[in-house]
Amino acid sequence: MLRNALFLAQRSLAWYRGRSITIVLCLAITLWVPMTVRMIVREFEEEIQQRAWSTPLIIGTRGSRIDLVLHGLYFQSVPPSALTMAETSYVRDSGFAAAIPLHLRFRTQTVQRAPAAPIVGSTLEYFEFRGLTIAEGHPLTRLGDCVLGARFAQQSGLRPGDRLLSAPQNAFNLAGDYPLNMRVSGVLNASWSPDDDAVFADIRTTWVIEGIGHGHQALSAESDDQLLEADGGGPLRANASVLPYTEITDENEASFHFHGNEADYPVTEVIAVPHDRQSQTLLLGRYVSLKRPGAICVKPQSVVSELLAMIFRIEELFRVAAVLSALVTALFLALVIFLSVRLRAPEMRIMKRIGCARGTAALLVGTEVFILLGVAVCLSLPAASVTRILARDWLRQFLF
Amino acid sequence: MNASMITIRDLQFSWPVSEFNLRIPSLEIASRTSVAVTGPSGSGKTTLLDIIAGILPAGDGSVTVGNTELARLSESHRRAFRLQKIGLVFQSFELIEYLSVLDNILLPARISPAVPLSAELRDRARSLLTQVGLERHAARSVTRLSQGERQRVAICRALLTEPSLLLADEPTGNLDPESTLLIVEILLCQVREYGATLLMVSHDHSLLPHFDSAIDFGRLNSTWFVAAGGCGAA
Repeated sequence: MLRNALFLAQRSLAWYRGRSITIVLCLAITLWVPMTVRMIVREFEEEIQQRAWSTPLIIGTRGSRIDLVLHGLYFQSVPPSALTMAETSYVRDSGFAAAIPLHLRFRTQTVQRAPAAPIVGSTLEYFEFRGLTIAEGHPLTRLGDCVLGARFAQQSGLRPGDRLLSAPQNAFNLAGDYPLNMRVSGVLNASWSPDDDAVFADIRTTWVIEGIGHGHQALSAESDDQLLEADGGGPLRANASVLPYTEITDENEASFHFHGNEADYPVTEVIAVPHDRQSQTLLLGRYVSLKRPGAICVKPQSVVSELLAMIFRIEELFRVAAVLSALVTALFLALVIFLSVRLRAPEMRIMKRIGCARGTAALLVGTEVFILLGVAVCLSLPAASVTRILARDWLRQFLF
Repeated sequence: MNASMITIRDLQFSWPVSEFNLRIPSLEIASRTSVAVTGPSGSGKTTLLDIIAGILPAGDGSVTVGNTELARLSESHRRAFRLQKIGLVFQSFELIEYLSVLDNILLPARISPAVPLSAELRDRARSLLTQVGLERHAARSVTRLSQGERQRVAICRALLTEPSLLLADEPTGNLDPESTLLIVEILLCQVREYGATLLMVSHDHSLLPHFDSAIDFGRLNSTWFVAAGGCGAA
């Protein structure tokens, strides 16, 4: 009997092709929308959390924990006031964790289609920590070099050997910092993370941008008078005519130097990678017990979870939307069944007059609805999966 | 005299919210006969056929088809009885437009597990098509047939289960004279050669001589007994 019902349903659907296709498409779209929204929301959650899960601890100056995490994970928000390299040494010397300093105060200038990217000053350990590998060129080997994130490289069109300028911190400060013309040494492989949109440099390079390190013309007593302050017999003093280099080349690299104690040099954050769970707990404990009064240590995982919990109070709205969507879908399905029955009323009348049982008539209508629904589901599921894959790129661009 | 195929006693039927009232004190139709039913529109001809077919409940009274008292059957049993024992032919053919000619004939088997769709049944369907001259149209859509051809397909469907009773409600109402005669001949052949009983509603008085007897609903107000070769009031 089911076989006969399938036969009749298939013939009916094929005969009323236009109607069948319209109903299937409507059903498929009605199913696809909530499925896709749900997938995208899940994807959003996973994307946000994945970055946090992979970063055990972040240390920064006292202030907003959320700002600290957003800054360290996604290179977003206003850079907090700086720690110093001494904090990095403290973490390393504790024996509890490896410490990766980050200095994140500067951005590049816009290049072609690429918006200004954050310049992440760090050490080579950062690349290993994030699993970043070189696709083209070579890693950072020299002061003034930079390595481009995959998407930034694609959008800017820059390749190894090209030059990339940092953006001035204050465009109105004509006597202030000079943009550094960095040399692109390499391009990273795509990592589907905020690292794709960033530019990486050695932390010392970012100190040069900040003005802590610099290089300049070599001066001697025989140098041009116009470059020297009046010589009172004491040490040579250069005047403002001496041009600080804005570009580090093979010729002038040796002239670059830093003043003061490296321990005092600024870092915006330190990523701590504990050796084990116990070490993590002990390190956290040190900061909680205020042994480091100027700094806090946070678990990005916790902060992001709290953030998502706050954001996903909106999930309640999502749930309401999902329930409404399900209700609409159910009503639409009921309408499809109703219309199907109405449209087939003459046919059902014929069958009734011939002697078709009520149950059989219901089976015929039900089979047709089942086929329509089945085809709609078969269309909407792959469509939702494809949308999820395509939306992944869009979501990453949207998020990061 | 042949045994009665249809026996009606004290039948009273009326539609709700209507003045229509069908009253048949007594009617007997013998088996293996052909009976024409005539009368003015609205006199209850189609209603009578529907009651005999079990499409409508008998209401008050008794309606027996063969050995089966329809009043004792539930609606679902009447449907099953109708599908297996009675062949129905309608004025508007009542074919399913998305099925082929052969599939329309086999429709009773598709909608009832009591009529298994076997190879023998398929052979019978093809044989019926051959008898009505439509064997070359088996795979064609019924929408591509003429009116006369469609009615022939409808008759084949009615004959699929070899029913002993054929009820035809103005089967020639939409046909030209040539097709009309052809259809009537096919139906009467079932009576002559296969021993079926035929009850056919028609407004066409020119067809009456073809039948064994006729019932005029304009005059149906006493007991009627219809037998082979004639009819008359009891």
